[in-house]
Amino acid sequence: MTKRLIVILLAALCAHAAYALGEAVLDTVSSDFRLDEVQVTARVLSKDIIVPQTLKGEELQRLSVLTVADALRYFSGVQLKDYGGVGGIKTINIRSMGSQHTAVYYNGIQLGNAQNGQVDLGRFSLDNIESVELYNGQKSDIFQSAREFGAAGNIYLTTRRPYFRAGERIHVRAQMRAGSFALANPALGVDLRLTESLSLTLDAEYLYSNGRYPFRYRRVLPTGETAYDTTAVRENGDINAVRAEMGLHHYYSNTGFWRLHVYNYWSNRGIPGAIVNNVWRNGERLTDRNTFVQAQWQDEWFNRWSTRVLFKYANDFTHYRNYDERLLPANNRYTQQEAYLSFANRLQVFNWWDMSLAYDYQYNALARENLLLDAAPEHFYRHSHWLSAATAFNFREYIRLQASVLMTAVDQNTPRVTPGVFLSYRPYPKIDLSINAFYKQSYRYPTFNDLYYTDLGNANLRPELARQHSVELAYRKAAKVYDLALSAAYYYNRVTDKIIAYPKGQQFRWTMLNLGTVKIHGVDLNADASWYLPLRFTLRTRLNYTFQQARDYTNPADTYYTHQIPYIPRHSGSFVLGFDWQSRRGDHYGFNYSFIYTGERYCQQENTVYNYVQPWYTHDLSLYGEWNIRRYWLKANLEINNLFGQDYEVIQNYPMPKQNVRCTLAFRY
Amino acid sequence: MHTRFQILVTWSVLCILYSVLLTGCRGEDIVYPTIGTHVTDEVREGGLYVLCEGNMGSNKARLDYLNLYAGDYYANWYGAQNPKQIKELGDVGNDLQLYGGRLYAVINCSHKLEVMDHLSRHIGQVDIPNCRYVAFHGDKAYVSAYVGSIADPDMLGSVYEIDTATLSITREVKVGHQPDELCVVDDRLYVVNSGGYLTDRYDSTVSVIDLASFTEIQKIVVGLNPTRIRVDNRKHLWVCCQGNYKNIPPKVVIIGGPHIETPCANIAIQGSNAYVMDGENKRLRAFSTIDYSEQTQPIDISSYEHPYGLLATADALYITDAKNYVSSGVLHCYGYDGREHWTARTGDIPGHLCRIAEEYDLHGDTTPIQPSSPYISRVYEYLPAMGQFVNELPEYVEGDNAESMCRKCEQSIANNAGGMITLGGWGGYVTFGFDHAVQNLEGRDLQILGNAFYMTGSTEYGSSEPGIVLVSRDMNKNGLPDDPWYELKGCLYDDPTTDHAFTRTYTREGDTLQNPFHNHPYYPQWISEDQYTLSGAKLAPQTQVISGQNVQRILDYGYVDNKPNTDIEGTSFDISWAVDADGNPVSLPTIDFVRVYNASDEILGMTGELSTEVTGAIDLHINN
Repeated sequence: MTKRLIVILLAALCAHAAYALGEAVLDTVSSDFRLDEVQVTARVLSKDIIVPQTLKGEELQRLSVLTVADALRYFSGVQLKDYGGVGGIKTINIRSMGSQHTAVYYNGIQLGNAQNGQVDLGRFSLDNIESVELYNGQKSDIFQSAREFGAAGNIYLTTRRPYFRAGERIHVRAQMRAGSFALANPALGVDLRLTESLSLTLDAEYLYSNGRYPFRYRRVLPTGETAYDTTAVRENGDINAVRAEMGLHHYYSNTGFWRLHVYNYWSNRGIPGAIVNNVWRNGERLTDRNTFVQAQWQDEWFNRWSTRVLFKYANDFTHYRNYDERLLPANNRYTQQEAYLSFANRLQVFNWWDMSLAYDYQYNALARENLLLDAAPEHFYRHSHWLSAATAFNFREYIRLQASVLMTAVDQNTPRVTPGVFLSYRPYPKIDLSINAFYKQSYRYPTFNDLYYTDLGNANLRPELARQHSVELAYRKAAKVYDLALSAAYYYNRVTDKIIAYPKGQQFRWTMLNLGTVKIHGVDLNADASWYLPLRFTLRTRLNYTFQQARDYTNPADTYYTHQIPYIPRHSGSFVLGFDWQSRRGDHYGFNYSFIYTGERYCQQENTVYNYVQPWYTHDLSLYGEWNIRRYWLKANLEINNLFGQDYEVIQNYPMPKQNVRCTLAFRY
Repeated sequence: MHTRFQILVTWSVLCILYSVLLTGCRGEDIVYPTIGTHVTDEVREGGLYVLCEGNMGSNKARLDYLNLYAGDYYANWYGAQNPKQIKELGDVGNDLQLYGGRLYAVINCSHKLEVMDHLSRHIGQVDIPNCRYVAFHGDKAYVSAYVGSIADPDMLGSVYEIDTATLSITREVKVGHQPDELCVVDDRLYVVNSGGYLTDRYDSTVSVIDLASFTEIQKIVVGLNPTRIRVDNRKHLWVCCQGNYKNIPPKVVIIGGPHIETPCANIAIQGSNAYVMDGENKRLRAFSTIDYSEQTQPIDISSYEHPYGLLATADALYITDAKNYVSSGVLHCYGYDGREHWTARTGDIPGHLCRIAEEYDLHGDTTPIQPSSPYISRVYEYLPAMGQFVNELPEYVEGDNAESMCRKCEQSIANNAGGMITLGGWGGYVTFGFDHAVQNLEGRDLQILGNAFYMTGSTEYGSSEPGIVLVSRDMNKNGLPDDPWYELKGCLYDDPTTDHAFTRTYTREGDTLQNPFHNHPYYPQWISEDQYTLSGAKLAPQTQVISGQNVQRILDYGYVDNKPNTDIEGTSFDISWAVDADGNPVSLPTIDFVRVYNASDEILGMTGELSTEVTGAIDLHINN
């Protein structure tokens, strides 16, 4: 209550100050959708209060990355959970708040998983992704759907937009990728210009890998003598996946457009499982299909009023089977449906003052079937409403302030209100140096699994609350021979009422409880630079470092009180070095080297020697050539990942691939 | 200026990253040696193995060992003993048993029965899919297993028979759904069928298997979801049924007896009591196996987070707290009086406990020693006071020293040799020990032999040359009798005539011939010093002249060389008599060293001084 009051007071105070300042200039208003048509480069002053971490375009294509999850390893403050291999689940955890506090948006609309609240980012291919952006707190743009104010960390995936030069009607893309572990990954895409303003894109991709990669476990005695040293091949890690997408874009006026996107993903994979003593193969299989249709319409009136409508329908199907007769037999089918509607409005009251109001509604349904039992499927439903109000002030480019309030109502639960305040101060008009800060609260609602899982569910769960405090210093400079972006952020997050599995009564019957407090102190450092050298050489460097102290403050009686929470390293970081040479004809040749480091961690709550997990670091190298021949564009890329073949684990007992190779041939017309 | 700023920032970032890399490099994955944590000063014989289950998929099954003798807890004992086992002990330890001198651990998600020697050194393994518990009969082990094909609509489990000599599966029998604990009674194997995989359709039977034909001959209906079965001292079976966690409550079913309505996470039977762990209400209940009535039971486990493992032995109850199941647990040891003796921090989910008795020498790192001998194995010290048989019993030869005199004493009195040594005059002593610690059990523990005899026709008088007994525990574990001594309180301890603080110095100078029958030095010749001082208690003279003979009054109890060896009780001692220097009783579970010194100080003319003779000693708890 007090917090809400403070926010309102603060907003009032700022409004008053705004009047006093008199004339103020507000950058951009309706350019929101236009901006994403244009390549935002480092030379443009950032419009965001909280500068997102971004990977886009060529830089993204030149990294050794196969999926969105691979790309996110290059962001600071992010920990990737990777179970290994092409088919292994990959989820991310932003600033140690837990992967369920992270929202992932595909072309502006959140990807949902009401069942477990996590999005497997290993499923999203980068082939048709134009940019990956990570916003801590929230996208500092008040014109957004209500739900976007809700998550603690946000990842925006934006697919490639068709771009036609005058007279062009069709573009074709074809790509073949092959590599270690029988990786075969052909992709095909077509862009059609149907009318002057209406275009259609079609994308399809197939992915296969047998997942049979060698791994090694070695232990030594304190004397240095080898205790054991064994190499085996990962089994049951095969994957077959097909992705097909269709997009329709219609820009009918300078201000208005609509888009329609249909997405379909189907996969059948093995779950290779944990490697434990005497078990080198597991028999779990997973088949799933994710389908969604989403639409967006946006327009603007009187240069002052903008409206955006979003709609989505998703239908996801998961079939899990355990064929390992040594284990609990399982044959479960889950069907999820999601319907989502968002209505967002923005009013530009003055040039320096914007207001927005948005309402979102979502319906979720889950059907759970145990095919081993003759029982009827169980059904679970959820209705969620979000209502957001936000305001933004810009004072002469010096100070920008945004405040938002989100009310979330899930089913019959008491609606909860969470505020967010974002502030940016730029002391020098000619220097792009800014001090950015935010405070934000966000709830993570219990998932269907938390609530209703057999033996495990607890319908009385409260949502988990994350409070974020963050201060950032950001600096950008664009000069003739270099572009530079530096940032340093300190944050303090507190997660309370953390939903954790807790044993209930006796004999391994678990339940979910609101039983956890985690305090997180973190520092993110980023340095990004492009150096334009003579003879058309370009050098790109990207450096990021993350320090995180994420400690458990649940109960002083616990043996792990104040211990670092599982799988959060104190130190992690990455370094990328890209070297590109452009010929006079416009061909490109270059290489890209990247180093990723994750420091020591613990796999359980207690930070003891028995739970210690070694640091890991990999060196990846890629070589490429790009050729323009008339209207054809050709690219060849060779990647060597884990160059020195480190035997590492991100998650304990899930070995990662040693050195592996991928090569890609891409063609565009 | 900005350029300088940029450089500064860039360099600081680089420096931080560099320092991180420098300290954050990956090392070798080391198999850590286990380090003992001292948890108690109380000494018991043998040890206790603790199998910590570890969470599924974590590969953290861990076998810990508590050396009860030294009071040290060794985490990851198996890992240290078997560093070459690939991926260690395995995933989810589900049962641990000692049988025929070997340890058997059932590792559920590693699908194996791990077979170890009593020091937990790997001998072999038997692959059994989804194995749960193990029981034994003759030379066979029986392992229950959840194994059941997904294609099999019933998903019936099995019991496997394993030849313990060859470690191979010999036979298999299908039982009910998800069989758990099992036990053997009179050539029949009883296994509970839990139905644990069939939520809401739990099994409720016990399968009876005839071991000769290895077929299921009967299914006894007990109660819903039976998970544990134990046999009591009257060969009755106690079955813990967990119910369905909803409307059907848990209960303990005694086959052929009553039902007891109680949650029963675990059960242990000791003597005529069955201890039932009520995990839901966090209490330990005891029921009589005779009339099934509830007994008062003082152990309080209400402060536990999740009571889990339970073991009842003759002298202690061991109970574990699994905490939140994903962090280390705690092992508690209680006496039956409810007193908590000590606690030890374990691995994750300490579930299964196995007491190793004293027949294994687990203190060292070697193989088990020979079965204990009841006789003296070693003489540590021998220092007689000046006396007429000194240098004769045993005989001193030129060149002997204290060490060689001890060996000569051993030749006389160790290993039931039947010889004799003298302790000389007042204060002379011998210190000896056995090849094991002598336990302090009910009644007399130790017999010490001498050469006393009764006067003809009397048991009140005779030849009594009383020696006082001191005992000691090897507290510092150095194998030497340099630890505190405690006197075994004899009948004259509280007598006002007893001088408890007597000392006397014997000198070489004072060694003048006192008895023409023993024409040799009385001073111990192997001592290089010219004098030595002895101290202790001195008893009042007991000699009387009866019928012209010097005879002594035979003391009631508690002295060496006081009653004839044929009177076993009269020549035996109870370690419970031990008192400290101030006379306070001391509770010693075991002792390692025994010292006997001559407490009489009388010289009787021609027969010389009264001198305690020792001819041997016997640990009364070792059968021979």
